[in-house]
Amino acid sequence: MDILPQVLVNGLIAGSLYALVALGFNLAYGATKFFNLAHGALSVVGGYTALAVLRDLGWGLGWAIVIGILMSAGIGWLLDKFIYLPLRKRKASNMVLLVASLGAFTAIQAIIAILFTSQFQTLLAGESKIIDLFGYAVVTGVQLSAFVTVAVVGLGLYLILKFTRFGKAVRAVSDDGEVARIVGIQTDKIVGTVFLIASGLAGLAGILIGFDTGLEPTMGMSLLLKGVIASIVGGIGNVYCGIAGAFLLGIIENLGVWQFSGEWKDAIAFGLLIIFLLFRPKGIFKN
Amino acid sequence: MEYLIHIAILAVIYGILGIGLNLVVGFTGLLSVTHAAFFGIGAYATGILLTNHIADFWGSLGLGMLIAAVLALIIGLVLSRFRDDYYALASFGFNTIVFALFLNLQDITRGPLGIPGIPRPEILGYSFGENFSFLILALIFLAAVYFFSKWLTESSFGRVLKAVREDERAAQVFGYNTFYFKLAIFSTAAALAAIAGSLFASYITFIDPSTFTLHESMFILAVIIFGGLASLRGSIVGAVALILLPEILRFVGFPAEIAAQMRQVVYGLVLVLLMLYRPRGFFGEYKF
Repeated sequence: MDILPQVLVNGLIAGSLYALVALGFNLAYGATKFFNLAHGALSVVGGYTALAVLRDLGWGLGWAIVIGILMSAGIGWLLDKFIYLPLRKRKASNMVLLVASLGAFTAIQAIIAILFTSQFQTLLAGESKIIDLFGYAVVTGVQLSAFVTVAVVGLGLYLILKFTRFGKAVRAVSDDGEVARIVGIQTDKIVGTVFLIASGLAGLAGILIGFDTGLEPTMGMSLLLKGVIASIVGGIGNVYCGIAGAFLLGIIENLGVWQFSGEWKDAIAFGLLIIFLLFRPKGIFKN
Repeated sequence: MEYLIHIAILAVIYGILGIGLNLVVGFTGLLSVTHAAFFGIGAYATGILLTNHIADFWGSLGLGMLIAAVLALIIGLVLSRFRDDYYALASFGFNTIVFALFLNLQDITRGPLGIPGIPRPEILGYSFGENFSFLILALIFLAAVYFFSKWLTESSFGRVLKAVREDERAAQVFGYNTFYFKLAIFSTAAALAAIAGSLFASYITFIDPSTFTLHESMFILAVIIFGGLASLRGSIVGAVALILLPEILRFVGFPAEIAAQMRQVVYGLVLVLLMLYRPRGFFGEYKF
């Protein structure tokens, strides 16, 4: 069997997880225009909350996923309310916000490590079902559901942004926060809700990763950076180009792993970032 | 006593790292998060050359500084295309790439196994094997780095750096080629970080890639933000404080595993609180 189709499928699966992170990151970046590094830590929060619900409380799978998402959404909202919002009110520079989010990221990740140890843990009890894709490649059931989840979430978000009042408000705030405020949009509230949704998406990504490869407190940074790279490769601030960027990143990474070795994965991703920043800083779709 | 000396040596090493990074972040206004990469290059230069008996400590120190400075020139060339938060993001990338090199060039660095048995420095047959004598040596280096940086920042060169920080366009209008100034200071800071790396490697006597991650760069950033941007004195205070603070937690009775994580919690919270209430740090002259 030729290995290339399998490599491409692996790339798409990785890409769909990055896409979830990138979706939330891009949404929040669009509304606030700063790099929220704590976004990665919220994936970790989501994954570990699901683990606690599933393993320690013994509740069902559905509860684990819902509570995991709610927990990361809630913490993301609190971060905005108590850290980012006061800083934005003071017109702090992007660098201040970046450093503050870095601090929040570090603290959250370490707290998770204290509560759950730094050991590698998985959400999956037993083996995942292996599904054969017409003899070309195989995926696990978890991976396939991750792919489907991203498609559903992406479509849902698109509909919300396009057709609801809230969606219009988000787009207005992303275009120009000041003007949005002048015409009577409650900018702070909208941004808060954006953080709620974005963080929930990050949590969902963390839970899916917990089922697919397993959880580690340190996974947040690499996941976040993949989301950021995907956003930049696709075109930052544009929610849908970010998804395309995520799939591109996932495929290039897996091609690289196939050609070299798994150890170079992060270096390949960052190599791609630096190439894009240098030659196409506005992303693949724009000049 | 031995424990206090250990803490003091670490504080001195991080003080050197802080001063170097402050030249770039505090004085020139470039948010670089890749300092641990140059720290690692100094450490690996000393580790590799000493354990293979290719050079003595002083030779490895010089070579480490040289490699770090040249690499910084190349990285700086790419980074010079970016500003502000994009600069920070791209610098993340270089730290990750250099870390991957430490981890994967196993023929040279022994990868995740690390390099054990790095000897202490010697001068004219006198070995700094005792921790106390090593502390004196480290302090001499710290003083040298401090006074060098003080001289540099107070010179006309340093004034141009501050002009770049305040308003790069204006500095260009006055005829300064800010590109070269930024490259020069980035390279200098990298060489200073390599000094800290050489000291670290020969003090701990064992190095592996896990010391030189992005997290380490963030810790050094926390040190200088805590002490104050564009304040050399502040960098030393920041290093002492952020090294000492988690040790106090250990005394309060946290087990070792948790104490290591508490260090991260503490410096994470320190960063958040500083950004909220005092973005210029304790002695800082400048804030982002």
